[in-house]
Amino acid sequence: MNNTAHTTSSAPTSLWKMRLRLMRKSLKTGWDIFKENPVGMVGLVIIVFFALLAILHPILMATVWDPGTYDPITGYDFKTLIHPSPPSWLPQPDNPMYKPSFRHILGTDPLGRDVLSQLMYSTRSEFLLGVGAALVTVLIATTVGAVSAYYGGLIDILFMRMADVMMMLPFIAILIVLSSLFQFKMIHLAIVYGILAGFGGTTIVIKSQALTIKVKSYIEAARIAGGGDGHIIFTHLVPNLLPLSFLYMMFTVTGAIFSEAVLSFFGLLDIRMSWGLMIQTAQAAGYLLNSWKYWYLMFPAGLSITLLCAAFYLVGRAMDEVVNPRLRKR
Amino acid sequence: MGKYILQRLGQILVTLFVFQTLLFVILTAMPGDVTNRMLTNPDIPPEVRERTRQALGLDDPVLVQYGRWFQNFITGNLGVSYSEYPTPVIEILEERIPRTMVLFLAATIVQFVVGFSMGRALAWQRGGFFEYGSTIVGVTLYTVFTPWFALMMIFIFGARLHWLPLGKFLTPILWRKVDIPGMSDSLTKANYVFTRMLWTATAAFVIWLIMAYFTRNLSHTKRNRTRLIATVIILAVSIGGWAMVDIGPLAWDITKHMILPIVTLTLVGFAGTMLMTRQTMLETLREDYIQTARAKGLPEKLVRDKHAARNALLPVFTGLIISLPSVISGGIITETVFSWPGMGLTLLNATTQEDIPLVMGTLSFIGVLSLLAHLVADITYAFLDPRIRYS
Amino acid sequence: MSKETPILAVENLVMHYTTRKGDVSAIDGVTFSLEKGHSLGLVGESGCGKTSIAFSLMRLLPDNAKIKQGSIFIDGEDIITMSYDQLLKFRWRKIAMVFQAAMNALNPVYTVGDQIVEALDLHDMIKNKAEAEERVAELFELVGLDPALMHRYPHEFSGGMRQRAVIAMALSCEPDIIIADEPTTALDVIVQDRILREMKKIQQKLGMSMIYISHDIAVIAEVSDHIGVMYAGRMAELASGVDIFERPLHPYTYALMRAFPSIKGEKHDLTTLPGEPPDLLYPPTGCRFHPRCPFATDICKEKQPPFENVGGEHYVACWHPMEVHNDHH
Ligand SMILES: Nc1ncnc2c1ncn2[C@@H]1O[C@H](COP(=O)(O)OP(=O)(O)O)[C@@H](O)[C@H]1O
Ligand code: SF4
Ligand SMILES: [Mg+2]
Repeated sequence: MNNTAHTTSSAPTSLWKMRLRLMRKSLKTGWDIFKENPVGMVGLVIIVFFALLAILHPILMATVWDPGTYDPITGYDFKTLIHPSPPSWLPQPDNPMYKPSFRHILGTDPLGRDVLSQLMYSTRSEFLLGVGAALVTVLIATTVGAVSAYYGGLIDILFMRMADVMMMLPFIAILIVLSSLFQFKMIHLAIVYGILAGFGGTTIVIKSQALTIKVKSYIEAARIAGGGDGHIIFTHLVPNLLPLSFLYMMFTVTGAIFSEAVLSFFGLLDIRMSWGLMIQTAQAAGYLLNSWKYWYLMFPAGLSITLLCAAFYLVGRAMDEVVNPRLRKR
Repeated sequence: MGKYILQRLGQILVTLFVFQTLLFVILTAMPGDVTNRMLTNPDIPPEVRERTRQALGLDDPVLVQYGRWFQNFITGNLGVSYSEYPTPVIEILEERIPRTMVLFLAATIVQFVVGFSMGRALAWQRGGFFEYGSTIVGVTLYTVFTPWFALMMIFIFGARLHWLPLGKFLTPILWRKVDIPGMSDSLTKANYVFTRMLWTATAAFVIWLIMAYFTRNLSHTKRNRTRLIATVIILAVSIGGWAMVDIGPLAWDITKHMILPIVTLTLVGFAGTMLMTRQTMLETLREDYIQTARAKGLPEKLVRDKHAARNALLPVFTGLIISLPSVISGGIITETVFSWPGMGLTLLNATTQEDIPLVMGTLSFIGVLSLLAHLVADITYAFLDPRIRYS
Repeated sequence: MSKETPILAVENLVMHYTTRKGDVSAIDGVTFSLEKGHSLGLVGESGCGKTSIAFSLMRLLPDNAKIKQGSIFIDGEDIITMSYDQLLKFRWRKIAMVFQAAMNALNPVYTVGDQIVEALDLHDMIKNKAEAEERVAELFELVGLDPALMHRYPHEFSGGMRQRAVIAMALSCEPDIIIADEPTTALDVIVQDRILREMKKIQQKLGMSMIYISHDIAVIAEVSDHIGVMYAGRMAELASGVDIFERPLHPYTYALMRAFPSIKGEKHDLTTLPGEPPDLLYPPTGCRFHPRCPFATDICKEKQPPFENVGGEHYVACWHPMEVHNDHH
């Protein structure tokens, strides 16, 4: 007991070092369990695939793709104008869109922009949005959960009622109204979604975890050693909540990407390109209900949203098994 | 149980209060004021805007406005829509709420029943094809991008196969052919027919509940059989009745427009219930009372259907309660894609037209609907769990 | 044992659990029998395979359990080779069980009465609802519960009441054998004692056979005619209660008795046995007790001691039975 107190007060660096070592070890064991789960691995592979797409886009733009033709927002392929009577793989006078070909692997959208380029370009912003929202959520949920559990009383009641409100209301309806009244950009959406999710259900789960940690002996030891409330919350409680927070991050990413796609599909976001917007463009131009011929407008964006959302969800579920041993198979 | 329900009611009221406050904050923080948009609608004379400003007391202190906000909400005085000037918002909502309710109730009930039954069946399959297959299909449906999925459904079943209409509430040509005394336009007729359909459904449901109450003491297999037969009879009588009256085809037209949105919502929703049921069943099967049931000599099927499933129902139902908001969100999206003129479509149209009173009114009532659904679900849960029912 | 055919005869039973890490040898060649109207106590530290035996007797083992060898005859029929349908009729009617975690043995969503009626109905013990209620009332009275409680749900019962309800349920179909697996461990000592005594009384009144399972030899000493001491999936010693207490032959039995206060209440010097039972994934060679046995020699490590009758229906599996070291005999 004395020893612990000593370490806590006078040698925080060594405590952190020890904690880091422990964390590395638990990450290793966690990874070993995660690896066993095929569902989680599928999710991880999908995420890595999309991450590669996102990284590849600027490289392609800088090397093989001519910006004038392949820019996801302003690009236009003028080749068609040069041809008075274009061969079948080029756009015809009555329909200026490119079909998939070597030049435009997924064809072009009704405005003549390369679909693959749009898809890859959007991937990066989806990742930024998802991770941004998740970070906000984790920051809020972990702090609020820890504080709620540590102090209890009125603070706890207040935060928990707030969580109830957030959990009982349909996010989409609120986001629809907010995004149109306030002209949301991607970053605003990330923050607002993060806040809505952070004060909601995630807090409740993290708080109940914090309650079980609060009664552990080392917290008591730290208090006897004279650690202040803030000190205890941030050096003892929060680090132990991080695995669970990290798990809920995955579900927030799914939710954020999904919401963004819905809002841009409705044309409510002030952004220039995203998967949701790609579908909206195709639908507004009347290509979606037309025929299978336009599969390259129908599928890439819709499938991407679905796949990436599913991937983060799957990783979340697999991590759930790591964090909650109860769910593990014997 | 009384205490439990009161507690839940209190909680819901607090939530409603917080929600309304949130709406008020949004409204106050919004750039410009409520009447800004009146300027751009040529139908609205300029002096109306000034009058509205005064009537709304937009120059009063914020706290006074806050108080009035609540007063208006409670008295149902939600102002006048700009986009459908001069219809009061409450009238628009009165027309649209039932349409959304029908979609929401039908989809929720169907997805829960289907999801629960499939999850229960899947709990028999450990490992191998079914486990992974169901997980993949389940997760895909659970995370599928709803608007896109809805479009795919319309594309396949409407545009390609021509089985069902592409969207909207009714087929106008059909409605012009059928006369209902005292009604000229199809919209009035539609509301008339739809209201009657709702009454039929409500009556059928009440009769079903009464039947379920009287059969509750029968043995497990006998009860299930009786209930199935009674359900079929109730359905046959209500559908048969409608088939005989001359507005029957109109009702069928509305129903046809309803099928695809409901199926879409069900498909999007049932996977979550299914996966959760399966997981919960597997956990429940490890409980001690399951061993007791087996030891008593109950065949495995009865052990699962009667003992495990009945217990698994509780957490799965809790899962349903938690997912209610996302079902409503899904409903909003689906309505929009299918042009189903309910609350969701109204919200989106009002938003894009900056019809602020209608936006706020619709959002308010979507919130109220959400909270009501929660309350009903909470009470249902109390009936399902004897630990709450008898405490 | 005696000339009469026993109601239960377990012959050289071998059972493994397959796990990812390998086979767990939970029962390894166990033989015993039980006569009608008698009671047997199975004792051993936690993890010695007592529950595994109980579950084998009802063929209620989890999916990963494999019975490799042996037979279990109940009333002359081998339940290991029995068909599933026949087994369903056998369970509860011939052999019933009071589970280790009796607190959770009742389904929380059905009334206690209904759960008993379910068993009665299944085994055609009743014709109609009135008869069912009458029978449940009778059972409730037998175990000392107010019959008015039958329409209540398990959560409305206290721990002791639930325990009684579970016993009533086990009695409901008048089985030949009842297994009570640590039936009272979760209860406080006074309730524990009273329930055990009442169980014994009922058993004698109804003339059925009983298997008591406990990790505490003192708990079952009083209620069992015979006692089997189990260690690491094997039967170490099997004899009448008197013999076990007066003339323990196996070092493990001896250690168990010194580790626990005796029935007479006088305290022995509580020199608890050091160490723990082995992990049955990797059972020790030879005598499974040798790593903890103070008398172990080379032969103990190499060869498994035979389970032999040393006279007077006293069986023991040990190369160096205790009497050799025990001066007072
Ligand atoms: N389902 C199972 N799978 C694998 N091993 C098991 C299983 N159930 C029990 N065991 C192992 O079998 C051994 C005997 O367990 P058990 O019969 O419960 O002992 P007891 O009732 O004497 O405490 C223990 O080592 C235990 O870990
Ligand atoms: S056989 Fe040897 S090791 Fe085993 S109990 Fe007897 S003396 Fe001890
Ligand atoms: Mg046991």
